Amino acid sequence: MEIDPLPNGTGATAATTTETTITTTAPTAASNTAPSSKLSQLTDSLKLEHQFLRVPFEHFKKTIRANHRSVEKEVSAVISSVADVADSNELSKDDAVLSLTSLVSRLQGLKRKLEEGNRTENLHAQRCCTRLDHLESVDAENLSEWNNIRVKRILVDYMLRMSYYDTAVKLAQSSNIGELVDIEVFQEAKKVIDALRNQDVGPALAWCADNKSRLKKSKSKFEFQLRLQEFIELVRAENYMRAILYARRYLAPWGATHLKELQQVMTTLAFRSNTECAKYKVLFDPKQWDFLVGQFKQEFYRLYGMTVEPLLNIYLQAGLSALKTPYCYEDDCTKEDPLSQENFRKLAMPLPYSKQHHSKLVCYITKELMDTENPPQVLPNGYVYSTKALKEMAEKNNGKITCPRTGLVCNYSELVKAYIS
Amino acid sequence: MELNSLKDAVDRVAKKQKLSGSKSQEVTDQIVQEIEKAVEMMQSTTVGYKSVLLELKKKLHELAPLSQLEGTHKELNIALSKYQKAVDKAFNPDISKAYRNIEFDSHTVNQIIASHFYRQGLFDVGDCFITDAGGAEATASMRPLFQEMYQILEAMKNRNLEPALNWATTNSNQLKENGSDLLLRLHHLQFVKILQKGSRDEALKYARTNFASFAGSHMAEIQKLMGCLLYSGRLQQSPYAHLLSPTNWDIVAEELTRQFCNLLGQSYESPLSVTIAAGVQALPPLLKFMTVMAGKKQEWQSMKQLPVPVELDKEFQFHSIFVCPVSKEQSTDDNPPMLMLCGHVLCKQSINKMSKNGSKTFKCPYCPSDINATQCRQLNF
Repeated sequence: MEIDPLPNGTGATAATTTETTITTTAPTAASNTAPSSKLSQLTDSLKLEHQFLRVPFEHFKKTIRANHRSVEKEVSAVISSVADVADSNELSKDDAVLSLTSLVSRLQGLKRKLEEGNRTENLHAQRCCTRLDHLESVDAENLSEWNNIRVKRILVDYMLRMSYYDTAVKLAQSSNIGELVDIEVFQEAKKVIDALRNQDVGPALAWCADNKSRLKKSKSKFEFQLRLQEFIELVRAENYMRAILYARRYLAPWGATHLKELQQVMTTLAFRSNTECAKYKVLFDPKQWDFLVGQFKQEFYRLYGMTVEPLLNIYLQAGLSALKTPYCYEDDCTKEDPLSQENFRKLAMPLPYSKQHHSKLVCYITKELMDTENPPQVLPNGYVYSTKALKEMAEKNNGKITCPRTGLVCNYSELVKAYIS
Repeated sequence: MELNSLKDAVDRVAKKQKLSGSKSQEVTDQIVQEIEKAVEMMQSTTVGYKSVLLELKKKLHELAPLSQLEGTHKELNIALSKYQKAVDKAFNPDISKAYRNIEFDSHTVNQIIASHFYRQGLFDVGDCFITDAGGAEATASMRPLFQEMYQILEAMKNRNLEPALNWATTNSNQLKENGSDLLLRLHHLQFVKILQKGSRDEALKYARTNFASFAGSHMAEIQKLMGCLLYSGRLQQSPYAHLLSPTNWDIVAEELTRQFCNLLGQSYESPLSVTIAAGVQALPPLLKFMTVMAGKKQEWQSMKQLPVPVELDKEFQFHSIFVCPVSKEQSTDDNPPMLMLCGHVLCKQSINKMSKNGSKTFKCPYCPSDINATQCRQLNF
């Protein structure tokens, strides 16, 4: 039985039926021979999915914290109001009843809020489960579909990080993978980034306040950078008195840890915003706002347990390095190699070449790997092809072999086997 | 992979979350009850509303709602941190550890992504992306090309071969040049389809017009197809029943995709998918290596070649790589692989070294043969 070895389907003759059966059974046979290595490869690849589980979990935690805080706040407010009413001497009975009933309706409001908060928390918990289920669902049968979804997940992550929100939403919707990507989380980032692009630090400061304890733990100085920028804007507007008041209130607390930056920025009071002094000119550069956007992204990614770089870049870099060989840049590089394309070559340029410990020979004719089952054979001119390709050629041409690269014609009997370890 | 223990951990979190939620409800209800009770008492008795208020204050103090809340919340926090620890342990917490700090040109990346969308048939997403991202407008030229392909494939799914046949006929010369018999395979499907409908004359006519030009190269197949004519209308019970299998359509559709991409000068698989898949296989060994040599991050940034071998599956092998088994170096133009008379292969430099520049014979490292360097032949893979 012959398997059609050519990807472009030469040699596919009348034997359509045998072909059908073979092409469908061949892959399963192959996967049966090496199940353990395939399995460990799959496990290794799943281990890369940290962010996939971590982000919804962080989101979940954040919601829980926020809900808990608001319950605490409401309850303690009610209790202290009751105490106020009880301790007050001026309140009439009717007034007391009135304020107590208003407290009751306040608590009813809290209850409604609690119910809603509970529902969101439930959704978050469910999302964590869905993601685990998705990781668990991968097996030999759906592998290619699963890999397809992984590519889409990686692309959505890239879109979100690059602020291509429309495409991110569209891709997620059209592929029905909304539960597997973090569009919702990025809505929060979008608000802050959009505002920063409009030179408004408000939402960013609010975000800092929301995440105060965690930012403090990681020694983040993002809030300080935002304050510095606001100060600079006041100086730019020549609002010096307000700038000084602002600095006293918001910058001074950072003096203990960031005195140098504080001094530098205070010095701008002595300059105008059109200063040519390089050290201060840079502070007035509108690009500082882009810098803040970048800083915010870093903080945001860290808080949610995301990688600092888009997943796409990480996978592309590793993949390109692993695929890159000196042969990729030759003219006869096969189209199937991504590195035959100019764009991929450009990206791979600064990356290292792959490293091989063992020979891997690919038949020039069939593009199949030559191994002990399909060993390489040498023509008299030193050119090497796979046994399978040469045998087929010989059968078609009465035992004659024509070297496709040099045109040399020889007999099948003149070939010698090469042993390559 | 131990996903089950993670699932248990997340279940525990969900349970504690429910508990904490109902506790908050309960505490709020308690407070509401107490206040309402107090209001009622104040309204029913005419005197002593002050004492009722003080009693309420005391009650609420005894209830200690905040510490009640704190208790369940703490349990929830413990479950949360347990889950987080389990996730951090089971997964690779930072896959960017093996990342080289170079910035990818975003225009290039965006072009790659846009063409990926088009070639995957995600035309709307591709259009949206080009508007969103900018810089990839040139890629839009790929859209109509692939649109044609997906229209053909869609028609085939509906068992309409017309567009496919039109395309293959227009490009028949190029297909032949590439050694593809796609056109015949399409005719084959069409012929069987006609026959299946039971119209033998029409099938015969179809065969006469379309099969003749393939007679030289594919006689056996044509003979078989003509054999089918005997069973017109009852092909299902004939020796040719396998020709009716729907997988035949899938195979031809795949071949059409391959040839279509080929004629467009494109690869069969999306290069973006291929590269990401290679990255998925390459990252684990690279990350492992980075953990081992944590202190040498600097070297990693400037290496010309990966420090560890990365074994990719065979679908990622596009080039022949020869590694000399003696020197462990990859062959180059200056140091080509050489075939020894015994059939084993070494690099030229290794042979030169072992033969003292051809001045003496040496033993093959793999077999007992004596090797004379002058009798070695250079190989081309």
